[in-house]
Amino acid sequence: MSATLRHTGYILRGNPVTLVAGIGAALLVLIAIVGPSIAPYGPTVSNVPQALQPPSATYWFGTDQLGRDVFSRVLVATRLDLAIAASAVSISFVLGAMIGAFCGYAGGRLDRWVGRFVDVLMAFPLFVLAMALVAALGNRVENIIYATAIINLPFYIRFARAEVNVRRNSGWVEAARASGNSHVRVVLLFLLPNVLPAMAVQISLNLGWAILNAAGLSFLGLGVQAPTPEWGIMVAEGARFITTGKWWLVVFPGAALMTAVLCFNLLGDGLRDILDPRMRT
Amino acid sequence: MKLNRRHLLAGTAAVATAPYLGGSAAAQTRAETLRYVTGATVNTLDPTMPGSTREAFGVSVNVYDRLVSFGRKQRDGNWVFDIDNIRGEIAEKVDISPDGMTFTFHIRKNAKFHDGTPVTAADVKWSYDRAVSARSLAAAQIGTGSWTKPEQFTIVDTHTVVGKIDKPDRLALPNLCTLYAIVFNSTLVKKHVTPQDPWGQAWTKDNTAGSGAYTVESFRPGEQVILRRNDAWTGGVDGKPAPFRRIICQTIPEAATRASLIEKGDADLSIDLQPSDIDTLVQRGRVKAISTPQFNAFSMIAFNTKMPPFDNKKVRQAIAAALPYDSLFKAGLFERGAKLYGGTWSGTPTDASFPQPMPYKQDVAKAKALLTEAGFPNGFDTFFAFNLGSAAFAEPIAALVKEALAAINIRVEIQKLPDAQISTMVTERKLPFFIETSIAWLPSTDYFFRTFLYGPQRWNYSGWNDQRIADIAEKARFETDKAKYDAACKEMIAIMAEETPIVMLWQPNQDAVMPKNIDGYTYGYHRQVDFRDVKRT
Amino acid sequence: MSLAAGIARRAGRRALSSVPALFGVIVFTFLLMRVLPGDPAVFFASGPNAGQAEIQMIREQMGLDKPIPQQLLLYLKDIATGNLGRSMNTGQPVVTDLINRLPASLELTFTALLFALSLALPLGILAALKPNSLIDHGVRFLCSLGVCVPTFVSGLLLIYAFYYILGIAPDPTGRLDVFAAQPPVVTGFMLIDAAIAGEWESWRAAASQLVLPAATMALFVLAPLARMTRAAMLAVMTSDFVRTGEALGLSRRRVVLVYALRNALLPVITIMGIVFSTMLGANVLVEKVFSWPGVASYALDALLTSDYAPVQGFVLLMAFIFVLVNLTIDVLYGLADPRVSIE
Repeated sequence: MSATLRHTGYILRGNPVTLVAGIGAALLVLIAIVGPSIAPYGPTVSNVPQALQPPSATYWFGTDQLGRDVFSRVLVATRLDLAIAASAVSISFVLGAMIGAFCGYAGGRLDRWVGRFVDVLMAFPLFVLAMALVAALGNRVENIIYATAIINLPFYIRFARAEVNVRRNSGWVEAARASGNSHVRVVLLFLLPNVLPAMAVQISLNLGWAILNAAGLSFLGLGVQAPTPEWGIMVAEGARFITTGKWWLVVFPGAALMTAVLCFNLLGDGLRDILDPRMRT
Repeated sequence: MKLNRRHLLAGTAAVATAPYLGGSAAAQTRAETLRYVTGATVNTLDPTMPGSTREAFGVSVNVYDRLVSFGRKQRDGNWVFDIDNIRGEIAEKVDISPDGMTFTFHIRKNAKFHDGTPVTAADVKWSYDRAVSARSLAAAQIGTGSWTKPEQFTIVDTHTVVGKIDKPDRLALPNLCTLYAIVFNSTLVKKHVTPQDPWGQAWTKDNTAGSGAYTVESFRPGEQVILRRNDAWTGGVDGKPAPFRRIICQTIPEAATRASLIEKGDADLSIDLQPSDIDTLVQRGRVKAISTPQFNAFSMIAFNTKMPPFDNKKVRQAIAAALPYDSLFKAGLFERGAKLYGGTWSGTPTDASFPQPMPYKQDVAKAKALLTEAGFPNGFDTFFAFNLGSAAFAEPIAALVKEALAAINIRVEIQKLPDAQISTMVTERKLPFFIETSIAWLPSTDYFFRTFLYGPQRWNYSGWNDQRIADIAEKARFETDKAKYDAACKEMIAIMAEETPIVMLWQPNQDAVMPKNIDGYTYGYHRQVDFRDVKRT
Repeated sequence: MSLAAGIARRAGRRALSSVPALFGVIVFTFLLMRVLPGDPAVFFASGPNAGQAEIQMIREQMGLDKPIPQQLLLYLKDIATGNLGRSMNTGQPVVTDLINRLPASLELTFTALLFALSLALPLGILAALKPNSLIDHGVRFLCSLGVCVPTFVSGLLLIYAFYYILGIAPDPTGRLDVFAAQPPVVTGFMLIDAAIAGEWESWRAAASQLVLPAATMALFVLAPLARMTRAAMLAVMTSDFVRTGEALGLSRRRVVLVYALRNALLPVITIMGIVFSTMLGANVLVEKVFSWPGVASYALDALLTSDYAPVQGFVLLMAFIFVLVNLTIDVLYGLADPRVSIE
C-alpha cells in the first residue's frame, strides 16, 4: 500500500498537471457537497425587477432573465452535474464490467449474442441515440443518466470481455476453480478484481464526457428541466444572449463546465500513468 | 458490400444534380434582392398540403394569387391587414347581391399565369372545387365561410364566376381572401393528375402553377427558397410589379445568428428574432424594428377543464388570481406585446372586441381563499407543460408559474415536451395546464369562440364545452344586425371571464427587424411576410 | 497476389458479419421511433381548423394506420427496394434528402479531420519526443482544453468573434454564400464541384464557409488523436528497429519521421476511423449552430417532430457508413501490416 502511495507521489511530482487536476476535482466534489449551503441566494428564487444585471458586488456573476443569481445557480448546479456524470458512468461501468466479464468467461452462445447486441449499439450514431432515448423516455434527470449510461456501455463490455477472455484459462484461474469455487465466484472474486484497475482509468475520462453529453442534450432542449440549475442548460440559455452582449450568462456556467471536464480529463490521463505502469516510459 | 458502396456513390452523382439547377444564374445585384432569414422551414409549395409549415404559407402568398385579397390599414403607425377592406386581386370587381348570398366575380382580362396563359373562369372554378373537395387543409378552413361543395361555384362566361351560399355569412368573402383559396393554372395541373390523385397534389407539392407576383427559382426544402419576380404581374394596388427582383428565404435555425446577420446588413428582414434581442438591436442603431401586436392572436395558459382538479371552476379562478402577470410579461416577453390581463371591467365587458384585456390580476389572498373553497386548502400536485420549440419564452414563464403557485401550495413540475409529443397530449387532453398561443386568420369574435373555446377540435385547448357559448356563437355567426351581434359577443366574453377555461396573457408582438432602408412591411393575417409590399428606399 | 486475396476474403467475412448488426439497427430504430410519445399525424395536422379527419388522412399517408408488425414488414420490404419513405418535414423522399445532404456532412467532417490531424500529428510527436517535459504537459493541457468546451459554445463564440466582431469570416449560413454562384453539381462536394467547373471564386467562398464549423469540430477531436499519436510514438520509439536505426547513425529527424512515424500511424488510423464515424453522427450541434444543411441536423428536426422515416433513414445510413469505415480500416491495416491478415 505504502509502495503505491510512494509511487503515486513520485508520479505527481513529475506530473504537475495531474496534481492540479486532482486538486481541482477534489474542490469540485467539495463544492458539490457544500454548494447549496453556501450559495448567497436561492437558486430558483426569481426577482424579475433585477433581471439581466451584469456582475456586481451584490451579484458576483450577474443575474439571469428572471433575476436569479447566476453565482448561486452555478454553485448549486455542481452537485447535480457531478451526480449525473457519476451515476451514468457507474451504471455503465458496473453493468459493462459484469456483462463483459461473464461473457468473456463463459464464451459460447451467450457471448455471441451479447457481441451482436454490442455491435448494434456501436453502429448507432451515439449522440442521436441518446437524443432518441431521452425523447422516448421523457426528459427527466434519471432518463438522461440512463441514456448516457447506455451509450457508454459497449466500450466497457468489450473491454471487460477482452481482458477476462485472455485470463480465463490461465493457471491461477484454473487453480481457483479446482479449489471448489463456483463459476460466479471465480468471475466476481478472482477475474474482475484483476480487470478493474485498467477499466477504472476510463472512468475519469468518461466523467468529463458525460457532463458534456448532458450539456449537449440541454442545448437541444432534451436535457434537465427548468428551473433546476444545471450547467448545460444555463450555458444553452445563456448562448441565446451572446449577440446582445450579456456575456455573463454563458461565460460563468461555461467556465464551470469547462473546469470540471478539464479536471476529469487530465486526472484520467494521470491516473492511467499511475495505475497502468505499462503505458509509461 | 463493395458493390453497394460504388452504387451509392454513382447514385449520389446522378440524383444530386436535380435540385441544384439554375445555379450560375445567381449573379444578381444585391440591391435588387431581399434576403429574408427565418428559423422555420418551407416544406411544400402547396399551402393546402396537410403538414404545411407557416413559412410555406408565406411563400405561397407571393407565388399564387387569389380572386380577392385583404387591403391594409394603419394601426398605431404600422401597416396591418384589414379584414373589412377587401380588394380584387385576380378579380377586378366583385358584385354582392342585396341579400348577401350571391357573389359575382369579374376576372381581370389581363390576368396571366406564369406560363403566359390567361386566367379564366374555368381555372377559378377548378381551383375552388379542389379547395372544397380535395383531401387538404383548405376544406376545413373555407368551410367556416359556408363554402362546402363544388355546386356553389358556377361559370358564367370566360371571365365571370358566381359563388352562392345558403345564408348570409360575414366570413364568406374573407375566407376567399385566405391563402387556401388560391387560383391554380388548371390546364397545367391537370397534366399531372393520376386516378389516385385527381387534384394533382403530388405535383403541386414541388411545383407551382400560379399567377402571382413571384415565381419559384429554386426550392431546397429545409434550406432555402429563392423567388424571382414575375414582371408580367400587375396585381398590386398600384398596378406595378413587385419591388424586389429576387427574394431569398433562408432557414437559419439559430436566432442569435439571424440577429447578427440583420445587424451586419447581410440579411434584410427577419420576423422571428428573440424578444430579448430586439431592444438591444434597436438601441445600437443599425436596424429598425416594426413591432405590431398580433391583434388576431393571443397567448394563454389553458386549463384542461376535463381533468380534475381543473374541472373545478374555483381552482381555475384561484390560479388566475395567483399568477404574477407583470413578471410573466416582463421576463417571458420583455414586454413586447399587448396585455390581455388587468382589464378594468367586471361582470360584462364594455366592448365586443376579442381578444381584449380580461379582468384578472394577481391577488394571492383571494387565490388562497378560492382554493380553500374548492376543497384544496393544502394544494395539490400537478405539472405544467410547454413546447420545446417555444422554450425561449416559455421556459422563464414556466419557472415563474411554478414559483407563484408554490405560494398557494400548488406543487408544479415543469415539463418541456418535443413538438409532436405536446401536440399529441393536447389532442388527447392529457395535459393539466399549459401555455399556448392561438391565432385566428379571420379575427371576429364569434369565430374566436367557435374555434378556440368550443367544440371537440384540438384548438379548443381547454376542452371547454359550455352549451351557452355554442348557442350564442352559432346565432351570432349569421347575425347581420351589429347591435345584436355586439351584445351576443359581450355575453360570451362575460361567461368566459367567469368560467376561466383559459387565462389570456397577452398578444405577442410580431417584431419585424430590418435595416433602416427597408420599407412597407405589413403585418398579415398569416403572420408571414408579403414580399409584394416590401421595398428598399 | 495471395495477400490481396487474403485481404479480400477477410473483408468479405467482415462485411457479411456486419449484416446482422445492420438489421438490428433497423429494427431497433424502428421500434424506438414507435415508442416516442408523440403522434406525428397529430403534429402535422396542424392547419387552422384541422380535425380528426385530417389526422386520419396523415396517418394513412404515413402508413401508421396498420398494426406495428405489419408496418415493420412493409418498412423492411421498402428498404430492400431502396425506398426509405418520405419526410413530412421536407415533403421529399428520404433517400433524396439524404443524398443531397450527405456530401455536406462528409465534406465538413473530412475537412475537420484534416484540420485535426494536421495539428494532432505534430503535437503528438512533439510530446512523445520529450515525455513528461513542459512541452508534453503543455500539449496535453492544450488538447484537453479543446475537448472540454461543448461544441455549441465554441461554435457560437467563434461566430461571435470572427463574424460579428472581427468581420473576417463569412456569414455562418450554410455551405456557400447565398450570393455566390453555385457550381453545377457533380459530386455534391462543393469544393470538388467548384474545382471541376473552374469557378475559383465559388471555391474560395465555399472554403471560407467551411473554416469555422470545421475548426469547431476539429477542436473537439484533437485530444484523442494527439493522445493516440503520442502513445503510439512512445511505444515505437523504444522498439528495437528505432534503436538500431539510431545506432547505425541515421539522423534523428530521419529516424523519427520516416521509420518511427510510419509504424506509429497504424493505431492512429484505427482511432481515426472511430473518430470519423463518431464525428459524422455527432455533427448535430455544429450543423445546428452553423445552419449547415447536413444529415445530422436533418435527423434532429425529424426526431423532435416524430417524423419517423428520416430518423430511421439517417440511423441506417450512419450504421452503414460505420461498417464501411471499419471495413476500409481493415483493408488498410491489412495492406500496411501483412501480419494482421495471417492471424
